Amino acid sequence: MATHVGEHNDHGHAHAPGLQHQFEDMKQQEESVSIGMWMFLVQEIMFFGGLFTAYLVFRSKYPMAFAVGSNHLDAFWGGLNTLVLIVSSLTMALTVYYAQKGNRNMQVILILLTMFFGAVFLGVKAIEYTDKWNHGTVPITGLNKVVREGHGDSHASKPIEFSIGPKAYAAEAAGGEEHAYVNPRGEFQWNDYDLIEKKVAEQKADPNAYILTTDEKNGYFSYGELDRDKFRDKVRIFYWIYFVMTGLHALHMVVGLGLMTWLGWMAFRNTYSAEYYMPVEMSGLYWHFVDIVWIFLFPLLYLLGRHFIAGGH
Amino acid sequence: MQTQEAIRPSITDKPRQNYLTNGYTIKSWLLTKDHKRIAIMYLISVSAFFMMGGLYAAAIRLELLTPASDLLESGTYNKVFTQHGILMIFFFLIPSIPAVLGNFLIPLMIGAKDLALPRINLLSLYIYWIGGGLVLFALMQGGVDTGWTFYAPYSTTFSNTYVMLVGLGIFVNGFSSILTGLNFIVTIHTMRAPGMTWFRLPLFVWAHYATSLVMILGTPVIAITILLLALERAGGIGIFDPAIGGDPILFQHLFWFYSHPAVYIMILPGMGVISELISNFSRKKIFGYEFIAFSSIAIAVFGFLVWGHHMFVSGQSMYAGLVFSFLTMVVAVPSAIKMFNWAATLYKGSISFDTPMLYAIGFLGLFLIGGLTGLFLGAMGLTVHLTDTYFVVAHFHYVMVGGQVIAYLGGIHYWWPKMTGKMYSEFWGKISAMLVFIGFNLTFFPQFILGYIGMPRRYASYPEEMQVLNIFSTAGASVLGVGLVMPLIYLGKSLINGKPAGDNPWMLPGLEWRTQSPPPTENFDVMPVVTWEAYEFGEENGLDLEAARRRDREMASDFQKN
Repeated sequence: MATHVGEHNDHGHAHAPGLQHQFEDMKQQEESVSIGMWMFLVQEIMFFGGLFTAYLVFRSKYPMAFAVGSNHLDAFWGGLNTLVLIVSSLTMALTVYYAQKGNRNMQVILILLTMFFGAVFLGVKAIEYTDKWNHGTVPITGLNKVVREGHGDSHASKPIEFSIGPKAYAAEAAGGEEHAYVNPRGEFQWNDYDLIEKKVAEQKADPNAYILTTDEKNGYFSYGELDRDKFRDKVRIFYWIYFVMTGLHALHMVVGLGLMTWLGWMAFRNTYSAEYYMPVEMSGLYWHFVDIVWIFLFPLLYLLGRHFIAGGH
Repeated sequence: MQTQEAIRPSITDKPRQNYLTNGYTIKSWLLTKDHKRIAIMYLISVSAFFMMGGLYAAAIRLELLTPASDLLESGTYNKVFTQHGILMIFFFLIPSIPAVLGNFLIPLMIGAKDLALPRINLLSLYIYWIGGGLVLFALMQGGVDTGWTFYAPYSTTFSNTYVMLVGLGIFVNGFSSILTGLNFIVTIHTMRAPGMTWFRLPLFVWAHYATSLVMILGTPVIAITILLLALERAGGIGIFDPAIGGDPILFQHLFWFYSHPAVYIMILPGMGVISELISNFSRKKIFGYEFIAFSSIAIAVFGFLVWGHHMFVSGQSMYAGLVFSFLTMVVAVPSAIKMFNWAATLYKGSISFDTPMLYAIGFLGLFLIGGLTGLFLGAMGLTVHLTDTYFVVAHFHYVMVGGQVIAYLGGIHYWWPKMTGKMYSEFWGKISAMLVFIGFNLTFFPQFILGYIGMPRRYASYPEEMQVLNIFSTAGASVLGVGLVMPLIYLGKSLINGKPAGDNPWMLPGLEWRTQSPPPTENFDVMPVVTWEAYEFGEENGLDLEAARRRDREMASDFQKN
């Protein structure tokens, strides 16, 4: 193949497939496109970087509220999504491999697989968001399920212990006491104060121990006593950050699916070969980047507070 | 070796196809991928925004003519200075030199046919138009009154104006800036002509490389910050609201993490232009090429570490303040290196005072004052007295207007013959440069004194004893206004009946002067091979100094005749 192209180059490079007029040869074009894509990813890192900074700031201000909030995210779904995305990265990487081989059928199959996994990811996210809506943990007033009168059906009231799985809330409903759950305006709801009450008691028993941060000592209390409303506000901040981070990530997934649709169509028309496969590789870089963002989001959001349940600080 | 003829083909050659004559339909402009046409469209757009911002400035100066708040009531005044700031910073200063001159010249200077990613370049223009359109729409609806800094919680909770819409416009516009920067970095890395090594690049290109780094690393942070602000405003809850334990200081940190480096987006390209002008109109190789090149990079790097000096009195930790104060002194060093090198370049140079050079010399004086007063503000003790006074206003106008706008005007005059193929009236050019310089100083120097005696910024009224200096300032603003409108007239006139400029009217060695004026669509007929260093004025380079002097004498006699 390579020598074949070499012969054509003798007549001038205008014949190379996909070569744009401003470039002298394919190598220059590939280099340019590649640097451009990496620069784009750098700006993406800075974009998410602002969010991670906000996360870090509030995590270090209110670690207990973040731990409690995190314990109510379902690590099963989060873990499943992590797995789904890692597999989708594999299919994406294989797509690039087969594009370089010029194997049209494998490209199309793998792109469809990648899109399938992307769709599964978004589906799981939809399940999780619905769950938040049902349990009144969406931080924005009016975006939660409106319940005018009701009885102790599942809502955020107890931590999910270590039972990782979709049944976590059901376990709590069986053992927990019955609350009348009413949420007429769709406001943010919070009832789990076990951990913070335990920590407050520990702090009061030993005022010199470093159990609560200074911001927590200022932020959770009214007149020296734990103020549940104030604590709830901090948990609400955690959920706000959760929704912004995962929401923006999901938006990037949607863009990625659009990109894959276009790429699949181009691959179906047999556009890519050993000489011209940069669009596949660049789309792959984007896809891997979105995956990697999730790899950071998963532990920070879902796994963060688990060790507090086991008694760690 | 290049011959005289190769450098300066005869003006009498019959006109050939150039980028302006390559298609006359509106479609041929709106769908062009030619960096030169995109630059011209940017030129028209940023000029329009500059005029709008200028009208707001005029309203501010008229209101401040009298101590009472009589022309504008306070609420309106808040909107007027906010919109002046937003239009000037996001829609004029940031795109001015990079998107107009950088876009036009970088491919010419490095010997490329176009930018590496021409479609992305066109996309950036459209994004700029969409962002600008959103902001203009918001202004027509009633505008915004938060100040261009959008400080929370006023912007998130209390302001009853179009914060969301303006925020959206700035968010969108940011991506135009990111894509321009991305394109420049790629182009400078991969599109250089054979022989055009990194250290043969004109310093204009180095300055744009540094600027592009800041654009790529900084702009996404303001994008996410504005997004968080908009979400907080829309949702009624967020991380900047102190009522629920949020942190308004975090907003300032995130905002200035972009907006301080952004002031380097607004000065580095200007420094690049000045390096060209100083060297070329002294007809002398620039002094300390590597130092100027790397000082641009150093400014871009250190510029990211000093944002806290905007927040000395806003509640950040005192120890953070100490570090930021120290780093602020450090970031002044690379700028000083540039100033010394420019001064050393002038020494024993064969200086000619053409219009662009008048602007360059004006820049040296104004930027010196602007930069040094920045050190006053970076000193932790003094800044407590000066924060939020007119001293700050005067300082950043000396840097932004005295630096970037003056450099931009100098650059436009310098490359006008290349962009249009026409020469403007040197006489009116000089008059306008002088008026801008005088008017500028008259406007802003009194503001240093006003700030020092305690006039706060962002108020429509002030004590009566401050009126005299304010009258000076307003009078200066009118002179400045006349100076800024004049180029519109004589540059416009040159398009109609200007003398043909020839390919190399200033007799310079740079690659952009070795193609025809205006350049053909593909920039060069044959791929140039660079065999000379930057700013090499030797005769073997085809730059006959005698001819240049002859030309100067002709210019001088023309000037007297006028």
